[in-house]
Amino acid sequence: MNRLVIVGAIVVMGTAAAVAQNLPWNNPGGAQGPAAAGSAPPGPAPTRDIGGIWDAGGAGIGARGMQTAPLTAWGETVGKTHHSGDGARMVPADQINDPLSVLADPGGFPRQLLFELRPFEVVQMPNKVLMLYMFEKRWRVIWTDGRQLPTNPDPRWYGYSVGHWEDDYTFVVNSNGTDERTWLDNAGNPHSDQLKVEERYHRVDRNTMELTVILDDPKAYTRPWTPRDKLKLALVPSSTDLMEMIPSASESAAVRSIYAAEAAAGKK
Amino acid sequence: MKTFCAWLLVFAVAAVVGAQDWNRAGLPDSAINAPKTKAAPAPKRDITGIWDAGGAGIAGPGHESAPWTDWAKQKAASYKPGNGPRAVYEADINDPLSTVCDPSGFPRLVMYETRPFQVVQTPNQVLILYMFEKRWRVIWTDGRALPNNPDPRWYGYSVGRWEDDSTFVVNTIGTDERTWLDNSGNPHSSELKVEERYHRVNHDLLELTVTLDDPKAYTRPWTPRNKMPLTLAPANFDMMEMICSPTEVMDFRKNISDRSNTVR
Repeated sequence: MNRLVIVGAIVVMGTAAAVAQNLPWNNPGGAQGPAAAGSAPPGPAPTRDIGGIWDAGGAGIGARGMQTAPLTAWGETVGKTHHSGDGARMVPADQINDPLSVLADPGGFPRQLLFELRPFEVVQMPNKVLMLYMFEKRWRVIWTDGRQLPTNPDPRWYGYSVGHWEDDYTFVVNSNGTDERTWLDNAGNPHSDQLKVEERYHRVDRNTMELTVILDDPKAYTRPWTPRDKLKLALVPSSTDLMEMIPSASESAAVRSIYAAEAAAGKK
Repeated sequence: MKTFCAWLLVFAVAAVVGAQDWNRAGLPDSAINAPKTKAAPAPKRDITGIWDAGGAGIAGPGHESAPWTDWAKQKAASYKPGNGPRAVYEADINDPLSTVCDPSGFPRLVMYETRPFQVVQTPNQVLILYMFEKRWRVIWTDGRALPNNPDPRWYGYSVGRWEDDSTFVVNTIGTDERTWLDNSGNPHSSELKVEERYHRVNHDLLELTVTLDDPKAYTRPWTPRNKMPLTLAPANFDMMEMICSPTEVMDFRKNISDRSNTVR
C-alpha cells in the first residue's frame, strides 16, 4: 500500500469530518437579501425532481400584500372586517386584527405561499411530495398516488392537496378545502372555502425553480388571478439548518401590550 | 376471461378507493394491539414510515419524574397544570400550550401528544413530521457536532447516529425552558439533554425510549418513555390536522370561565 495514498486518504477523511463538525446552525436563509447562490455547479434540471431546500430571497416575503382580481360583493364585505398591518387596508399597529400577527393563529394555506415564503425543503417520496416550511415550522403533504381531492371536505388550515407531473420539469399541485378564517396575505385579502389553488413548480435548471400560483375563488373574486408569477427560487446547500421562525401567542401579546401602551401615551 | 376482467375491475376500483383516504386521526386500537407474529424482519438502518403509538402516546396524566432540584421547585411553583398531582381548576390553568397555544416545544412533543408521526430519511438528515401541531424537526446525520451554548429553540438542536443496524439514537440540546415537559407541569431548564432511542424491532414495530438529563432541574437522569411501542401505519395514511389555534382556545376558555363564574 502506498503510504502517500494512506496519508492522503486520512487528510481527506479528516477534512470531511472537520467540515461536517463546523456546519452552521440556524441559517435564516437569504430571505433578507438576494437568494443564496446555488449549492452545486450549474447544470440541467434533473427529470421529475424538485427535491431540495429552496429560497426565494426577499421576493418570497410579499410584505405589501398582493394585487388581486376585483372582489365580489361577498369578498368586499369580508375584506372590510380585516384590519391589516399592510397594503390598502392598513390601520395603526394597535388596531390590527390579523389572526396570524396578532394572535399567532396558523397562517394557513395559501398564505404560506403568498406572504412569508421563507426557505422550504421539498422531499419526494414514491406516493407523495412533502413540503417543510421554515416559517411556522409547518409541513404539508401533496399526494401523488392518484387519489382525487375530497368532495366537500371539512376545512383544514392547510387544505387538501394532490399533485402530478405535467412534464419532466413541471410539478403541478391542486388544493381545495382551505379554512376561510385565514387571510390570503398580510394586506387582509380574503378568501372563501370555495378557493381552488394551483401551484406550478417549474425546474428551470439544477439550481433554479420557478413558482407560479393561481387562485380561483368565484365567491370572493370576479375572476381567477395569479399572485405569484414565475417567482424565482434558488437551491441552497442541502446542509442548511433552517432557523426557527414560529409565531408565539405569548410573544405576540407582549408586543401588542407595548403598542397599546404607546398608543395610550400618544392619545394623552 | 369475462370473470377475470370483472375481478381486475374490482381490484382496480378497490385500489383507487383504498387510496382515497383523507383525514385519519390515527390507527384504530385493533391495529395498535394486533399481534405482530408474522411481521417481516426490520430493514437495516431504516426507521422510515408513519408510526402510531395509539393511546399510549398521549400520556394524559403526565409523567412520574425524578426528584426536582430546588431550582425546579421554584420554577414549577408558578405552573398551574390541567393534569397530574398539581392539577387546578380548568379556569385557573396557565399551561402555555393549552391556554395560549404557544409551541409545545421539544421534548414535550414526544412526552405528551405523541400522535402519529412520519419519519423520512435523506442522505444527511432524518426528518420527523408530527401530526400534533403539524410541526417538523430535523435530526442531522452528517456528522456535525451539537452547537456550543446555542440560542434556545422551541424544538432544540438534534443530531443522530445509528448505534447498530436497528437502533437510531438522537441527542438534543438547546431547548427553550419556557416550555413544559408535559401537561402535568414538569419543568426543565435550558441545560436539558435529551436522548431518544428508536429501536426497530421488526418491519411493523418500533420502540421509543426517551431519557432526560437535566441536572439543573432534576437530581438524576430519568426515562419518561421506556420502549413505547409504535405501529407502522399504511403509507397512504393522510394524517388529520391537529393544530392549536389561539382564537379557538380563547373562545373555549371564555366559555369555561363564564361557566365557572356562574357556579362560584
